[in-house]
Amino acid sequence: MQRLARLTRRCLTALDAIASRVYGWPWNPLHQSGTVAVAMLLALVGTGIYLLLVYRLGAPADSVARIAADPWLGSWIRTLHRYASDLFVLAAALHAARMFAQGRDWGPRTLAWVSGVLLLLLGLLCAWTGYVMAWDTFGERLAREGARLLDVLPVFSEPLSRIFAGDGAVPSAFFFVNLFAHIVLPLGAGVGLWLHVSRLARPTLLPPTRVMWSILGALTVASVLWPAALGSAADAFTLPLSTPLDLVAAWWLPLSERMSAGAAWSVASVIFIALLLVPRFNRRPRTGAWAPSHVDTRLCTGCNQCPQDCPWDAITMVKRDDDRPTLVAHVDASKCVSCGVCAGSCAPMGVGPLGRSGRDQLSVLRTRILPEITAQPSAIVAVCCAQAPASHIAALRARGAAIHDVPCVGNLHSSVVELLVRQGARGVIVCGCPPRDCVGREGPKWLGERFYAQREAELQPRVDTARVWVATLATGDLAGTLSTFDDFAQRVAALPSPDREHDVQLQAECEPVAAAAPATAPATAPATAPATAPATAPAQ
Amino acid sequence: MTPRQSPVQLARAVVVSAVALALLAYASAVPWSYHSGHAARLRLSWSARPERIETCRTLSEAELAARPAHMRQRVECEGHAATYLLRVSVDSQLVNESVVHGAGLRNDRPMYLLRDVDVAPGTRRIRVSFTRREQTDDDAAAFAPAAASDADTGMYAGRAQREATERARRAGAAVPAQLVIDTTLTFADRGVHVITFDPERRSLQVSRGALERSTSPPTVPHDY
Repeated sequence: MQRLARLTRRCLTALDAIASRVYGWPWNPLHQSGTVAVAMLLALVGTGIYLLLVYRLGAPADSVARIAADPWLGSWIRTLHRYASDLFVLAAALHAARMFAQGRDWGPRTLAWVSGVLLLLLGLLCAWTGYVMAWDTFGERLAREGARLLDVLPVFSEPLSRIFAGDGAVPSAFFFVNLFAHIVLPLGAGVGLWLHVSRLARPTLLPPTRVMWSILGALTVASVLWPAALGSAADAFTLPLSTPLDLVAAWWLPLSERMSAGAAWSVASVIFIALLLVPRFNRRPRTGAWAPSHVDTRLCTGCNQCPQDCPWDAITMVKRDDDRPTLVAHVDASKCVSCGVCAGSCAPMGVGPLGRSGRDQLSVLRTRILPEITAQPSAIVAVCCAQAPASHIAALRARGAAIHDVPCVGNLHSSVVELLVRQGARGVIVCGCPPRDCVGREGPKWLGERFYAQREAELQPRVDTARVWVATLATGDLAGTLSTFDDFAQRVAALPSPDREHDVQLQAECEPVAAAAPATAPATAPATAPATAPATAPAQ
Repeated sequence: MTPRQSPVQLARAVVVSAVALALLAYASAVPWSYHSGHAARLRLSWSARPERIETCRTLSEAELAARPAHMRQRVECEGHAATYLLRVSVDSQLVNESVVHGAGLRNDRPMYLLRDVDVAPGTRRIRVSFTRREQTDDDAAAFAPAAASDADTGMYAGRAQREATERARRAGAAVPAQLVIDTTLTFADRGVHVITFDPERRSLQVSRGALERSTSPPTVPHDY
């Protein structure tokens, strides 16, 4: 399973590189696959309502042919409906592949994975019933195959296949039931979508406006330019030479037709069950890198920041069991995905997964990077997300940067950057992933706000922010990475040599106030004017 | 920092998007072969109730008297649903021979028959027979109405006749013991002829839909 995940990841990385080069990483549609699928669902509902108004149950083939022949509205709306359904299937499959490749499919994410698989299945079933509604040769072919598959199940008293034999007209009840299913399935998809995002604190349902309208606009133009093919009307007394086949939404049909009904059910069941069991196969022991976050109640000041930052609503504030008047953070391990975003949110550095709290980060820094800076005082330190492309990190190293990697930039505590600057680093560039491709969901978003918008735990005013920069390392955009680094290197080269402070003890500075005193604000709350954001703060 | 797109990058994005959409449009309706141009099909499709092969006996007055009043059925039958042998010949060559059972676990539900037989286009002599496999000494005797009994009085008056009528109705609803159609049909390229059981005529018929589409008028089916 891990090997398959690595292979999927390699394929996706190659695709991401192409898309980032073409569109630029902020608008890479592959990073938006989940939200694109939702946008397509909305497009399907919108176009579907129009089609429902002009569709006639009594004459399905005729009514669809009339819709297709209407050049002003019907043709392109019908085509847009079809292309949107194909794009929905593609986007949902790509989204699932990305979650699988990044290991975001087990533990607390199991519900999202399982509901996502069901949503994809609903999408395929909905496409199936939609094609049958048109009742052209392809629709009839799908209906025959569906009847063949259903006839082996002990469900219907009379074999469904005889409906299409030709010894009688296809009953209108069949088209009614099909239409009913075509309408009910998307309602089910709505429920599935609610389940899919129910564990998230702040689900993102739609892609950025520019991406969404670009995709919808492009699909509309394509619908006008290339109207979707419609086969000839279904006729039980003629064997069609060929039918149009939707390779995206009905890819399974050529395979299914070559199998016996029993074999087709068996293969489909095995695939479906295997997909449902992916969280079981992919799960890791909740230790080490996968250990849930832990709260050091001695350090917790009850500031309520980590519950606000947690992307999974895994942290709540509860009553303390000692005599301090504040609340204390409590992590629900069953909801925690070990993203570590809370570690960067805690000013006193009292929360985070095992070995990744702010204090742990400072300890690692002292042993790994500080000796390097001491030896080479003019070095620029690049703090890079562990998910960043290796080629980019190698290129930065070749430029003379000292590399310090973190599991996710959302984990990074601002004290780490402060320590680096106060210990004499010429500059610190923090390199995160594109925001919509963050395995911790909201890492780059919170990092930017902590550094530039005074979000707890903010970068302290005593830090020279001219020496700090936040960059994005996007697969396929090495030139952009190097350009950003070179610009930053030029800027810090123009600054005077940094003053190296000795014996900086940030842990001690971040200790909360005495237990007896009411700790309504973290001990590290800014006492002076807030740090000014750089004139060209990164867009989030 | 959010990178800006140059006009060249924008043009490249437009071109790549256009190619991707063209691929999507193509993948959405790939022409896919279904049947060969030189093919035709004979389709057999019908549903009918199988006959019930029963052994009936008339209960004696003593047996009837021993039963509760509401269970005094004069004629008791035990049996099973009949099975049928389907034989399809094209130009005197047997192309399909199979046994057809009623549906359901006990095979006592209606039979649903759907068979597709590939034939070469052209004029073909088609013979389809559907024959009950079980032999009875005397079919008429098996379904003969029981004699009316003077014993049926009061609220049970005429029951013997009602039982006989019900058995006759069931027998009439079942498929005949033997159905045969022997006819000549002209199959156009990719044409389909459908043979079905007409419950009103109680015989096999060529479906009218197929006949109307036939390029040359077929011979009138000969029913047995």
